[in-house]
Amino acid sequence: MIQAIQVLILGLALGGVYALMSSGMTLIFGVMRIVNLAHSAFIIMAAYIAFWLFNLLHVDPILSIVLTMPMMFVVGMLYYRILFASRADNPRFIDITVLITFASSLVVEGLLAFFFTGIYRSTTPDYAKRSFNFGPFFVPESQLFATVISIVLILGLWLFLRYTRVGSAIRATMQNRNAAQVVGVNVTWVSTLAFGIGLAMAGASGSLLSFIFTFFPAKHVAWIGMIMCLVVLGGMGSLMGALVSSFLLAAASAYVNFYIGSAWSPITFYLALFLILLFRPQGLFGKKVEV
Amino acid sequence: MAVNTGADLAQRQDAPLRPSKANPWIKNGLPLGVLAFLAVLPVFQIANDGLNYWLHMLLYVFLYVIMSSSWNIIGGYAGYISLGHNVFFAFGAYFAGMLFVYLRISPFLMAPVAGILAMLGGLAFGLIALRTRGTAFIISTIALVLLTIEVLDNWPLTGGTNGLAMSLISLEGQYAKIPFYYYLLAIMILTILASYFIKHSKFGLGLRAISQDETKAEVAGIPTRQYKILAFGISGLFIGMAGAIWGCYLTYLRPSIFLTVALGTSIVLNAILGGKGTVSGPVIGTAIMIAVNEVVVAKLGASELNIVVTGMILILVLLFFPDGIVGSLRARNRLPSFLDWD
Amino acid sequence: MGTLNVENVYAGYGSGPNILKGLSLTVESNKTYCIIGPNGAGKSTLLKVIAGLLKPREGQIKFNDEVISGLRPDQIMQRGLCYVPSDRSLFPDMTVKENLRMGGYVLRNPRLVKRRVDEVFTMFPVLKEKSSQAAKTLSGGQQQLCAVARAMILKPDMIMLDEPSLGLSPKVVQQIFGTITDLRSQGMTILLVEQNARKGLQIADQGVVLDLGTNSFERPAAEVLQDPRIQELYLGKRRQPLVTEAQK
Repeated sequence: MIQAIQVLILGLALGGVYALMSSGMTLIFGVMRIVNLAHSAFIIMAAYIAFWLFNLLHVDPILSIVLTMPMMFVVGMLYYRILFASRADNPRFIDITVLITFASSLVVEGLLAFFFTGIYRSTTPDYAKRSFNFGPFFVPESQLFATVISIVLILGLWLFLRYTRVGSAIRATMQNRNAAQVVGVNVTWVSTLAFGIGLAMAGASGSLLSFIFTFFPAKHVAWIGMIMCLVVLGGMGSLMGALVSSFLLAAASAYVNFYIGSAWSPITFYLALFLILLFRPQGLFGKKVEV
Repeated sequence: MAVNTGADLAQRQDAPLRPSKANPWIKNGLPLGVLAFLAVLPVFQIANDGLNYWLHMLLYVFLYVIMSSSWNIIGGYAGYISLGHNVFFAFGAYFAGMLFVYLRISPFLMAPVAGILAMLGGLAFGLIALRTRGTAFIISTIALVLLTIEVLDNWPLTGGTNGLAMSLISLEGQYAKIPFYYYLLAIMILTILASYFIKHSKFGLGLRAISQDETKAEVAGIPTRQYKILAFGISGLFIGMAGAIWGCYLTYLRPSIFLTVALGTSIVLNAILGGKGTVSGPVIGTAIMIAVNEVVVAKLGASELNIVVTGMILILVLLFFPDGIVGSLRARNRLPSFLDWD
Repeated sequence: MGTLNVENVYAGYGSGPNILKGLSLTVESNKTYCIIGPNGAGKSTLLKVIAGLLKPREGQIKFNDEVISGLRPDQIMQRGLCYVPSDRSLFPDMTVKENLRMGGYVLRNPRLVKRRVDEVFTMFPVLKEKSSQAAKTLSGGQQQLCAVARAMILKPDMIMLDEPSLGLSPKVVQQIFGTITDLRSQGMTILLVEQNARKGLQIADQGVVLDLGTNSFERPAAEVLQDPRIQELYLGKRRQPLVTEAQK
């Protein structure tokens, strides 16, 4: 019993981070119907930034969020502007955006590998080795910090979307792009902003992941698989969905990892993906839109 | 009121049919000439040796043409982009390879069986995954690749990440590549012929209707679900066969060879670059990309920049030439006749 | 307040053919104009072009003597011209109140927006009851009302309605048109596109027939209603072309 709870705790401790990783991607899809398969590549880019900040300037990875978020925000806006903005309203274009983001992930991977080589990296702040103990349970400090910060960031995003004028514009564009135009929202500008915000969330994820997992350029493939599953399961475009599916799958894969074997825990994600596509393709919280 | 068949949907965006003014000597002669050359080339190898490098290159070309042309059936004709087609490749290789390692049955014999089983697997996967459309489908193909990597990496029977070694009796150096060469050449010809016949069949017409507007195709009475699944299955047939042969050619099997993202992307890039939805497109796209690859490797070494180049070419093609070379040329009525195999 | 001049406008979608072919129209202030015509004639396209959602390829559009063709939708709205699309274009998961507030998006003053929302609620008490319900839960008629109300947040001089009766039952259509008549009596300039030609013309001052992308016929609404050719074509009697190809 104690073991079961401990496993659950370990799972939940990762849930927040997963949610942060998928929040950006689901936001981008919600506003622009773009499936950003390069999301994890950008997360790794941010992880490298955090890594060099840590090793060269001794910047704590959690603090590096202050830098990685704005940097990736700008990268996101530029990326959207250059590749997608002018073609956004052409319906045939939406189909190939997936391929374009996929190709972009390869470009990012190649560039990262070229500049930083394929050596496995991670940042190593002190708390990466410590654990909190309470009663018979323990939680690695790194994961606890990361999940708490992730939840704070997601909460911040939610508040931003709910209570600011720009946030309303973003939500409006997500719900009905044409209607948003009718009430005067500049949907191109909102889309660019949303992409920037999505990548800013990726930036924060990169900083946090840098001390939880080891990373290398080619790792983005494994992570995008996981993030894809989380986003589809939660419902593409739903922040709440990303949150719920992340905690659910984090807990589930923790159990699979412990009771069945570590090789099987990634399979949990893919299984969940295929099941949800079979029975409820719009995800837990998504709408019945053509995905 | 005319009955709304899928035909008008499919032909809506094609160039108007006009009687071919092409010189049949060039149109048919050039490709057949190339084919004859390819068929005869190994004879020179037997006579003089020294051509092994070129045979090796051509084997790569044949393989990629098989894969891209097959992909074209579901990705080009039906418009369902699959990023996981190398799973067929891996399946064929592992199936034949494991039969050889454990039961000593020759892969050359088993290749057709491997192909058929790959096709059946494709049908099964299609039954599940083709309930989704567009981006959800693409995602499910990616998940399939990742899932397959996990299984192959961790299943003891497949040798895990280290894979399996196949100790085959090979012919002496001069002759070594020749059986593989002819086998793959044959499969390649079959694939191109299949692609041609599908395109000119009612089935192919239905697929194209699906790619234009699936809902309207359904309404027009086309059995979209069956057609899609069939296309997906067929697209795995020849790849599975080729996989069996290729595994044999390499003499070892490892997940990391068959299931890389780069390979999956190349298949798609070749087809799109050449012109998806055309018969000759994947062939031309493959030829160009292999040439480009050779140049890049020569200039930059086999570095990480290779996938940067692949990625950037794909992006540029998608943004500016989504119809590919054959498609763009045809739209401007400048397609040389010997490239027009439709 | 609220005069619209459409001058020889050509427009189409993407790289497709021209839908509007040299269309000219003047909407005088304080009047209600109803546009009728066959499908594909360009009625909805015309409204979209005026609203700034589609750029004209040739010609220009003036509102209160100021050129508005080429301006963005938010700029046009700020000049007092609002648009209610045929699909209502509400935000399905936002409440009625939030939808109305989005109507005031171009006003950057939240207090002003709040005041306007309250004013609109007094105008449309039915909506006030439903103010915290999600828009997708409203009935068709209520959604239409909400869309009109949202356009009123900016206190426009002129409002354009695309097929307000679309998908609504006759009784509800009656209510909607009652609302439009109220707006009309308050001096609003109204440009209406209606498939239900009879109803639309009944509440209009001027009737306009749009066919093949141009303004092919314009008369006081009552005359249009009585015109036998119009009755054949759009009001459900026997067929005969209005303007033959030869006459064009």
